[in-house]
Amino acid sequence: MAGWQPAGFGSTIDERTLVDEDFLPVDGEPDGTELDERAGRDDLAAYRRGRRRARTRRLATGAAGLVGLGVVWQIAASILRDPVFLPSVSQVATTFVHYFNRPYPAQGSPLWYDALTSLRRILIGFGIGVGIGVTLGSAMSASRVVRHLIDPVIEVLRPLPPLAFIPLFIIWFGIGELPKEILIIIGVTPILAVTTVAALDEVPEDLRLCARTLGASRLHTLVHVQLRSALPGILTGMRIAMAAAWTSIVAAELIAATSGLGYLIQQAGDYLNTALVLSGIICIAVIALTLDACLRGLLLLADPSRRG
Amino acid sequence: MTARADEGERSADRRLGADVVIDSVSKTFRRSGRRTVALSGVNLEVGAGELVCLLGPSGCGKSTLLRIVAGALERDEGTVTVGGRPVRGPSPDRGMLFQTPMLFPWLTTRKNILFGPRAQRSAGLNERDDPELDAEADAILRTVGLAKFGDAFPHELSGGMQHRAAFARAIVTRPSLLLMDEPFGALDAITRLRMHDFLLSMWDQYRTTIVFVTHDIEEAVLLGDRVAVMGGRPPGVQEVIDIPLPRPRDALDADTEAFLATKRRIRAALTV
Repeated sequence: MAGWQPAGFGSTIDERTLVDEDFLPVDGEPDGTELDERAGRDDLAAYRRGRRRARTRRLATGAAGLVGLGVVWQIAASILRDPVFLPSVSQVATTFVHYFNRPYPAQGSPLWYDALTSLRRILIGFGIGVGIGVTLGSAMSASRVVRHLIDPVIEVLRPLPPLAFIPLFIIWFGIGELPKEILIIIGVTPILAVTTVAALDEVPEDLRLCARTLGASRLHTLVHVQLRSALPGILTGMRIAMAAAWTSIVAAELIAATSGLGYLIQQAGDYLNTALVLSGIICIAVIALTLDACLRGLLLLADPSRRG
Repeated sequence: MTARADEGERSADRRLGADVVIDSVSKTFRRSGRRTVALSGVNLEVGAGELVCLLGPSGCGKSTLLRIVAGALERDEGTVTVGGRPVRGPSPDRGMLFQTPMLFPWLTTRKNILFGPRAQRSAGLNERDDPELDAEADAILRTVGLAKFGDAFPHELSGGMQHRAAFARAIVTRPSLLLMDEPFGALDAITRLRMHDFLLSMWDQYRTTIVFVTHDIEEAVLLGDRVAVMGGRPPGVQEVIDIPLPRPRDALDADTEAFLATKRRIRAALTV
């Protein structure tokens, strides 16, 4: 994916850009109206239709890839004929439906409950982590002292796998909800701080000056230009952090939990219920994809140049 | 900053533009212990409604001077007044255009144009309602030839169209002075010629004062009433040359004898 670049800053004119429409500003110039018509709204609408069509094609190709994966899986399962090693797609589907609303005996709660438990942990930890990360990033971007103070802390935390903290957190906080949420916060915060700093640093100084010469106050410029301009970069950071949050929470639930999708997968694996293990994994994939789709939707809203 | 009380007075002299007086302005940059003199004792007067080009090589301080007049940079010494008022910080009375259009990529052309009036409204500088602003946006979109592109986003516009949108956004707040920092430097040569014609016709309509920074001699001669040649050590205004060419001008004038003679004079001034 190309890095986010505001339109017009680098004058990147590629095939996505409309062909330049000749413009003759001289009053009463007959060519002016003719050329204006050529540059009519219809052109813009047609151009956008074309980009939407290309997007639909891209999505259709992607869906075909997923269907292909399912077909390969089903063929492999029917050759192997060993449901403990690799259950077929239909066996997994049956198991998924069966346990969705019935508790798994070894574990005591239905699939939907575990999914909701994991989702709740993710959303709380992610929300707090994003809040802290964006605040830290903004402060670091605004003040050199704050940046020099916090940067080493983040650089030390960032490369550490959050999983390394699990034993420590069990000692400190036990195996309740708190250590899991803190684990997610520890993973999410540095990512958001770093991406927020990068996004704010990338806002051209002249864009700020431009807003000021148009009569915007300092505060108006900060909120409506600087932060707004950094928003796509921050949302991209949130997408990366969301993936990291899932890694943390499932790992934590595998090791020290009494509920959640990771715990369910662990229990199902202990009893060699491979179809339920796969059901749990698919459940994670569906929730993670949905959350990512929400963030991508926000990104499209925030950055029109990504649309189509 | 700009009090609401003198709103009436300002709108009266806006159509004529404001005069600019730059009096012995100096600026030194200090970066990691090294001092670089960017401007030394610069004097320049620009009349109301005049179009003056600042011409010189890279590093001659022309952009620095422009930013000091804009209020974006503090000067070390000297005074700058625009329309009789000393410059303190950026003001909507002094519009600015940059080498890249600097449109807000998340706003449509129309919303880009209305950014200034709306920001000023939320700062209490005007009390214009939305229908009035929309009508104004429609009018200016027509003027700059983007009537059908009000709902397009900046990335959907060509380079020339982006610059016209940026011009519309700068002019809609009716600044009495427009500061232009190599605004067409990144455009291809043909689009650039069109933008020159565009700028001259717009200037004809709005009659605001313009200070135009460029390193292109031909551009300076074609556009300017006068050209301030900058350079030297320490950097400053070397010479101010009158452009004796009649108005209105267009790109074809660049082939005339008088045009070439003026170019020669400026080139001589630059090599001093």
